[in-house]
Amino acid sequence: MKVVVDHKLCLKSGQCTYLHPEVFKEGPDGYPVPLVETLEGELLEGAEDAAEICPSGALALVEAASEKE
Amino acid sequence: MQAPSIFSEEMTVNPYPAYQAMRDQTPVHSASFGPGQGLRGAWILMRHDDVYGALRDHETFASGFPAGGGPGGVSMVLINDDPPRHTRFRKLVNKAFTPRRIAELEPWITGVADELLAEVGPGETDVVSNYTIPLPVKVIARLLGIPGEEYRTFKSWTDSVLNFDSGGPDRMQKVFEMVTYFGKMAAARREHGAEDLITALVEAEVEGEALQDSEVLGFCILLLIAGNETTTNLMGNMLNVLAERPALWAQLRDDRSLVPIVIEETLRFESPVQFLFRRTTRDTEVSGVTIPEGQSVLPFVGAANRDPSEFPDPDEFRLDRDLHNHVAFGMGIHYCLGSPLARAEARITLNAFLDRFDRLEPGSTPGLRQTGSPIIYGFRELPLTLGA
Repeated sequence: MKVVVDHKLCLKSGQCTYLHPEVFKEGPDGYPVPLVETLEGELLEGAEDAAEICPSGALALVEAASEKE
Repeated sequence: MQAPSIFSEEMTVNPYPAYQAMRDQTPVHSASFGPGQGLRGAWILMRHDDVYGALRDHETFASGFPAGGGPGGVSMVLINDDPPRHTRFRKLVNKAFTPRRIAELEPWITGVADELLAEVGPGETDVVSNYTIPLPVKVIARLLGIPGEEYRTFKSWTDSVLNFDSGGPDRMQKVFEMVTYFGKMAAARREHGAEDLITALVEAEVEGEALQDSEVLGFCILLLIAGNETTTNLMGNMLNVLAERPALWAQLRDDRSLVPIVIEETLRFESPVQFLFRRTTRDTEVSGVTIPEGQSVLPFVGAANRDPSEFPDPDEFRLDRDLHNHVAFGMGIHYCLGSPLARAEARITLNAFLDRFDRLEPGSTPGLRQTGSPIIYGFRELPLTLGA
C-alpha cells in the first residue's frame, strides 16, 4: 500500500507530519510528503492512523503500483 | 502611536477597524500602546504570514507557561502543553474526534437540532439561548457521558473560566464546582465503566502509563469549554451573517453545495477565537522585528483572517475565495482537535434552518455581542426572525 495526499483537500494542519514523522516529512510547500513509497508493518499502521485522524480527510491509502496484478 | 486599548470593550465588539489600523505596525509590543493593556505585556502579531508562521513553528512559539499557569491562571491540557506531553495527549484523544467518528454521530446531532427547532418554530426568537448554546453543550455532554439537561450549569462554568478579567472569588467558586463535578464523574467511571469519553480517559494508557486524575479532569474541562463556547459562537456568527444577506439565503436554499463554503468563510470572516497565546523559547525575528526569548506573543488569528494580502477585500463575505489558509482553527500541532465536530454541527445547523425557514432576517432589536472576553467573538443575544 502507499499513501496519497490530496492537495485540494489538504489544509496543511501538519498533524500527520507531527504524529507520524516515521511516515511523512513536510515538503518545502508545506504539504506532507511520504518518506517511503510502499508501506508495510508499522509504517503502514502509522499511515492508516494518520489518514484516520487527518482533520481535512486529505490522506488515502491505495494499492502501490508494485502490488498490482 | 494612537491606538485604541486592544482589550477594550469597544474592540471586543468590533475589532476589525483596529486590526486594519494596527496590522502594518505589527509585530509590536503591547507596551507601545501605553500602560494598562493587560496580560502583563505581550507581542502582538496581526499579519497573516506572521500568525501562520508562528503557529507552525511550535518549537520557537511554545504553548506552555511557567509555573503559575497559563493566561488567567488556568493551565489547560493540550492547549498549554508542548511536546512531548502534548504529543502523548493528542494521540490519546485524537481518536475520539476523527471525521469518521463524527460522521457516526451526525444522525444523532441532527436529531438534537430537530428537537431544538421544534420548540423554536417560525417568528422572532433569540437563537443564542434557544439554539446555539444548547446544541453544542448537549453534543459534547453526550460525548463525555454527562447528562445533557445540566447544560445551563456547564455554560456558567465555561463563562467563568473564559472571563479572566472578572477574577475574584465567584470565578474560583465556579472553577471549584466544575472540578468537583468532573472528579466525581471520573471516580464513578473508574468504578463502573460506560460507553463514553470519560471512561476512555480513565482507562487510557499512554506509553504504558495511565492518566492521573488531574489529567482526566483537565481533559474534561478542556473538551467542555473548547467544545461548546467556540461552536456556539461559530453558529451565531454564521446565522447573523446570513440574516444580513437575504439574497444569499435564497441562493443557499437553491444550492446546498454552498453550505460548507459558507461555514469556512464564516470561520474566516468572524472567527470565534480572535487570538491565541504563545511564548518564545528563543530570540526570533518576525517581519524584521526581533522578539526576545521568554516573551508572551499573541497571534491574532482574527486579524490574520482579515489580512488583505492573503484575502483580497477581506471585509467582504464571499464564496469564491481560496480558504485553505484561514487560521480560525489554528495551524500546526495545536490545530483544533474538534474541528470535524465543529464543522459537522455548523453544517447540520445550517441545513436544518434552510429546510424549515424560507427567510432568515434580523429581529426587532439588534444582536448583542459578548463583552466578557476579548479572546472570544460571538453573540450573547441574537434575535432573528425566522420565516416559514
